[in-house]
Amino acid sequence: MELAIFYLFASIAIVAALGMVVLRNAVHSALSLAVVFVALAALYVLLNAPFIAAAQVMIYAGAILILFVFVIMLLSPRVDQGAGALKWQRPLAALCGLVFAVELAIVAASALLPTERGPFTPERLAEIGDVQAVGALLFTDFLLPFEITSLLLLVAMVGVIVLAKKR
Amino acid sequence: MPDAQTLWLISPELVLAIFGLAILLFAIIWRERVYGALAWVALVGLALALAAAVNLWGAHARLFAGMYAVDMFALFFKIVAPIAGILVVLISMDYLRERTRYRGEFFVLLTFAILAMMMMASSANLLMIFLSIEFLSYMSYLLTGFLREDRKSNEAAIKYLLYGAITSAVMLYGLSLLYGISGSLNLGDVALTFSKSADTSVQTLALVATALVLAGLGFKISLVPFHQWAPDAYEGAPTPVTAFLSVGPKAVGFAVLLRFTLTTLPGLPEFANYWTPLLVIISIATMTLGNLVALRQTNVKRLLAYSSIAQAGYMLIGLVAVNLGGSSPFSGLNGVLIYLFAYLFTNLGAFVCVIAIENATGIVEIPEYAGLVKRAPLVAALFIVFFLSLAGIPPTAGFVGKFFVFGAALREGFLVLAAIGVLNSVISVFYYFGVVRAAFFLEPKDTSPIRVAPLVTLSLVVTAAMVLLIAVYPEPLFNLAAWSMAMLK
Amino acid sequence: MLTVNHLIFLSAILFSIGAVGVLVRRNPLIMFMSIELMLNAVNLAFVAFARYLQNLDGQVFVFLILTVAAAEVAVGLAIIVALFRQRETIDVDEASILKG
Repeated sequence: MELAIFYLFASIAIVAALGMVVLRNAVHSALSLAVVFVALAALYVLLNAPFIAAAQVMIYAGAILILFVFVIMLLSPRVDQGAGALKWQRPLAALCGLVFAVELAIVAASALLPTERGPFTPERLAEIGDVQAVGALLFTDFLLPFEITSLLLLVAMVGVIVLAKKR
Repeated sequence: MPDAQTLWLISPELVLAIFGLAILLFAIIWRERVYGALAWVALVGLALALAAAVNLWGAHARLFAGMYAVDMFALFFKIVAPIAGILVVLISMDYLRERTRYRGEFFVLLTFAILAMMMMASSANLLMIFLSIEFLSYMSYLLTGFLREDRKSNEAAIKYLLYGAITSAVMLYGLSLLYGISGSLNLGDVALTFSKSADTSVQTLALVATALVLAGLGFKISLVPFHQWAPDAYEGAPTPVTAFLSVGPKAVGFAVLLRFTLTTLPGLPEFANYWTPLLVIISIATMTLGNLVALRQTNVKRLLAYSSIAQAGYMLIGLVAVNLGGSSPFSGLNGVLIYLFAYLFTNLGAFVCVIAIENATGIVEIPEYAGLVKRAPLVAALFIVFFLSLAGIPPTAGFVGKFFVFGAALREGFLVLAAIGVLNSVISVFYYFGVVRAAFFLEPKDTSPIRVAPLVTLSLVVTAAMVLLIAVYPEPLFNLAAWSMAMLK
Repeated sequence: MLTVNHLIFLSAILFSIGAVGVLVRRNPLIMFMSIELMLNAVNLAFVAFARYLQNLDGQVFVFLILTVAAAEVAVGLAIIVALFRQRETIDVDEASILKG
């Protein structure tokens, strides 16, 4: 059952991802990307991470994608022809291809995980609640990164306003 | 809630955060009326942060569940970062006046960029490494594109951002694999997993993961083949930002690279078989490509961009030849730190010279430097000092740095690598001399003297004095470097 | 049974599609979307590892990646908008008074 759900959403995600890359119209690409986001959110639920699933839908689909669509409409760019690459992209292409190949070989060959397991079994998570557990971590062990993120958002916002506002 | 001791140990960061927010507040409330004063507020903040970092010297602690290291290695970079910040603020004031309406916000972004540099130096956890690198990157993108009416500045920013976002995604993939094989985000635990595991598939995966992380760090340091953004970003960015980009991200990129490799890799001794040749190749490619392309440049900002790519290659030699055992004065690591410290003043100094000319005349093309010695004798003379130092010719700071880096390479038996390094230094003399030749031996079209602003003159004198001082009296720097490595072990 | 390898496999595929998207498209908006796809692939890997390691650090990491990605998109789009104000197209190839 679990596996069936995985294959369903995995194939949706892959098809939509390909669509995003292939489609000519920027708005269509953005919508395909939205499908990927939602499919991944479904997988997160499957993986006992409802908090991340909700954040995924809210932040990626709700905020980031809307921003993309707004900018696309604002700029209404010419449809690009999609052929050819910049010369600085070629070494990266080689690198990514290589990494991909190595990656798949390794994943196929090996059991990845260390034998020790953490305390958060599915039963325990069901008992205390995923949101509570992640929230508690954010405000204890990960307090510093959390605070840094808030500063980062503030300063990035200031910079964005300076660059983008009408004069 | 962190206790008082913790807050004390992160006081340099807190000072910068408070001053950054204060500048923002002043800029919002009083707008144009206080813009001139905000640079001075930033200077005070940076000076206080520097004092706080110096004051903490000798501390050794792991904060926030072990993810934030306050040790002498980190403090070394927390001393370097505000010094760079102070010099950049000094050279920005006059430059910005004519070019943007948002001078206050500029200093906010700069202050937080310095804060991000400090956090990178202290990161001992995969999450902190990611967050602080991203923080510094966003500040850098925004600063690069800060002249929003200037098309070159915009284009530089978009190229920088796209390239940076790709490499940071690649690096994140590496981090996720490291998390997967070790089950922890702390560098120490990752190292422990490496050393315990005899499984070859884990080791192969670790190799892939660390290579991916190297891609992300290579971008910040502008190592070949992750350097392509640098010339465009350097040329298009406002010149004080170029000066900052050429030293700031590079220095702390090395801080993360050193901490990452020296913490995790010793767990996998056979790793050296793959890792060392890879770094040797990258180092040679970086030096050689940077220098050869620099030979053809006619724009002084692009010339310095390629020169600074090459400089990263020299520094990498120190990491290749690193050997923390034994009591030799050439441990490789101290070479990198000494080199970075010398490079900080040298490269900033060279950019101050560029700004001094650009501010008064708008000139950035080398042929137009003709007869500079008659128009601005001080700037022309100091160009020679900084170029000697960049080429590694005594009696300058750059020589001291190269001496220790090449010395470590010789000690560890990397004779070919050291030879290529020396050869590259010789090549670099040619293009540095090209600038000097124009300035001293060509006849100027326009002979009117160039007026250099007092603050720019001040930064010129300070950087030049430091370049010479490090060369004649380097002992404090040796000790500084020796202590910081002792605490990293 | 669903294993971590399934998920890492999916993550690798999505990451590569994103990487190829960056490499073959020249519209910076689409390049940027492809980068977001790469980040999502990484997130999937983190969540999968967190699930099978029974360790929530991965989820916290993903939460912060989400937040930071939002800032990244805002910064990137602001720069694209500023660039567009200067001229009519946003094709990176034509963005070149700077040499590539």
